Amino acid sequence: MTRQLQAVSDFQKATQHYIAGLPLDQGAWLTDHRWSAAMRFSDLGFPDKREEAWRYTSIEGLLEQGFITSDSDSEVVGAEFEQHFLHGPTAGRVVFVDGTFQPALSDTHIPGVRVSNLRTAMETSDLEILKSVGTLSGPGTHGFSALNMATMRDGALIRVGGGSRLDAPIDLISISTSSASGRTMRPRHLIVLERGAEAMLVERYLSLHEGAYFNNLVCEVLLEEGASLIHQRVQQESESAYHLADLHIELQADASYRGVNLAMGGAWSRTMISNCFAAPGASCELHGLYLAGEGQLVDFHLDVDHAVPGCDSRENFRGILHGNGRAVFDGRILVQEQAQKSSAHLSNANLMLSRRAEVDTKPQLEILADDVLCSHGTTVGQIDPQALFYLRSRGLSEERARRLLCLGFASEILEEFRSAGLREHLAGLIQKKIGSEP
Amino acid sequence: MLRIKALRASVDGKEILKGIDLEVRAGEVHAVMGPNGSGKSTLAHVLAGRDGYQVTGGGVDLMGQDLLDLETEERAHQGLFLAMQYPVELPGVNNLTFLRESLNAVRRARGEAEMDAVGFMKLVRQKANDVKLDQKLLKRSVNAGFSGGEKKRNEILQMAVLEPRLAILDETDSGLDIDALRTVADGVNMMRSPDRAMIVVTHYQRLLDYIEPDHLHVLADGRIVRSGGKELAVELEERGYGWLLEEHAA
Ligand SMILES: Nc1ncnc2c1ncn2[C@@H]1O[C@H](COP(=O)(O)OP(=O)(O)OP(=O)(O)O)[C@@H](O)[C@H]1O
Ligand SMILES: [Mg+2]
Repeated sequence: MTRQLQAVSDFQKATQHYIAGLPLDQGAWLTDHRWSAAMRFSDLGFPDKREEAWRYTSIEGLLEQGFITSDSDSEVVGAEFEQHFLHGPTAGRVVFVDGTFQPALSDTHIPGVRVSNLRTAMETSDLEILKSVGTLSGPGTHGFSALNMATMRDGALIRVGGGSRLDAPIDLISISTSSASGRTMRPRHLIVLERGAEAMLVERYLSLHEGAYFNNLVCEVLLEEGASLIHQRVQQESESAYHLADLHIELQADASYRGVNLAMGGAWSRTMISNCFAAPGASCELHGLYLAGEGQLVDFHLDVDHAVPGCDSRENFRGILHGNGRAVFDGRILVQEQAQKSSAHLSNANLMLSRRAEVDTKPQLEILADDVLCSHGTTVGQIDPQALFYLRSRGLSEERARRLLCLGFASEILEEFRSAGLREHLAGLIQKKIGSEP
Repeated sequence: MLRIKALRASVDGKEILKGIDLEVRAGEVHAVMGPNGSGKSTLAHVLAGRDGYQVTGGGVDLMGQDLLDLETEERAHQGLFLAMQYPVELPGVNNLTFLRESLNAVRRARGEAEMDAVGFMKLVRQKANDVKLDQKLLKRSVNAGFSGGEKKRNEILQMAVLEPRLAILDETDSGLDIDALRTVADGVNMMRSPDRAMIVVTHYQRLLDYIEPDHLHVLADGRIVRSGGKELAVELEERGYGWLLEEHAA
């Protein structure tokens, strides 16, 4: 057996063992869900390179790491976390440290919104809340998401009541401390906006250390009729970390989802977004910016399903690659036969700052309806030497000019981060990251 | 201030500048005219240090410094400014941010303190007003989607803010309406000062009526074939370049 196969098999065995050791006395809901997911994991195993969706993204490195240790709660000291909370007005805050909810650091009293956490809901068998968990993801569409459900432990459960309008974002923040090293976190969040609700959510993953860990998360977002969510996601894990995010969105009639994703951390990160239009009149915008430098892989998979007529989707992703950074972008849009009057526009642009960087970009539009408006485009380019000359002729150093042009390239996506404070903070991080490498 | 001596330059092995001699003293305004493709923009680019040109002979001295030895940004720090014939669009790069970074880079190089946000805004508002540039354009991306005339005004604004010692304006008057032409000319005249020099490349005598250069040079096939006063422009307007080329060949 090769080393890689050995790693897969070891990880799989250890995982099965871990699942078998989980308590079974936590009520029927949990037992049912855990077991169907465990069965699913047994069936699926880990994805491998022969599957089209995993062709460019090897998981061998991840499995070799192991990442199986017993669960423990990290010791939490407030001050070191507070500086990372969102500045400026917020509607509330939900904090996780190493995968565990932190009531003392959180502020969950938001008028019109019910905030709870998965662990408490499971411990109290709170079916009223639990009943929606897993409705979009099912027991798992690939081995990792099955694993997430089979071993789920905690996560945010946010339900915005019908007609509620939040005028400031909810800060959902997951922080990794050095106690997370060598461990797998598997948060599972559920965001529900009831009829006509409007909210903004900032969902971030960041790290206080440079160690390796695995964040295997699932987030389900359900927007009922006429609801509208602005979802701002930031992946800023340790540069040794592995991050796998599985985001499921379902939109009822006339709902509107506007999401922006920034991925810049992690040695290996993959975000899979699937959007399902459940009724006509809904719109889904997915924006994203990814940065990969020396030793990093960043991967985005979009799966947008126009199953009903009269919905709009727009996917706009940009990437900046330097060093030997690698990116994968796989944008799939399916417009089904009955989905007339759909519009779908996909674009992906990549800026390569180094000859050693690599990107695999694959837009896939599958259009089975005839009365639709669809387009797609991909570009891979370098910094324009004329633009560089223009800036330098005005006195800017070459390095400064490059950074400014990179930020300019990123700005269209950064604009989607609505809070000015967060946007500027992120722009600063991006500049630092680009400046730190050749 | 500027002394160009027997300057030769080529692109991809093709010689474009075939021995240029030009001396510009502080306080002077020189006009450069000449047929399309004669090498006017090439001369401007070589002076500004753009990549892609090989200097194959001669030299350039700017205020005692060997200009060709300097990086593009160092030339800007020394007080060189080139208003480009085709200003580049920079989508996503905010015009104000760009101006402020430029100004501060140049000020740092001159040993002056960086300008604070308030002082900078005041300065830019004033200058934008002087060159009649719509304030709204300041908030947009540099030149992106600007009309031809707006781009040229934006170049003049940059010149006004950066206050260079030597400004080269490459066809800043091309494509401008009559009022805009007047504004650009006013911008140039406003900048005229005993310790500043300017080289104005143009195809039109009209601009020179407003600007009144001290000297006029005709560049043809990579050489200066005639130098004279501003009255030369009138003759060129009437007779074209043909006779000059013939005289030069003879
Ligand atoms: N990068 C380049 N590659 C190839 N040829 C070039 C390049 N740059 C300039 N040239 C050639 O050099 C010659 C001079 O060009 P230049 O742009 O300097 O002319 P110009 O006098 O500014 O003309 P115009 O009045 O049309 O602006 C032209 O024949 C042009 O095609
Ligand atoms: Mg020219």
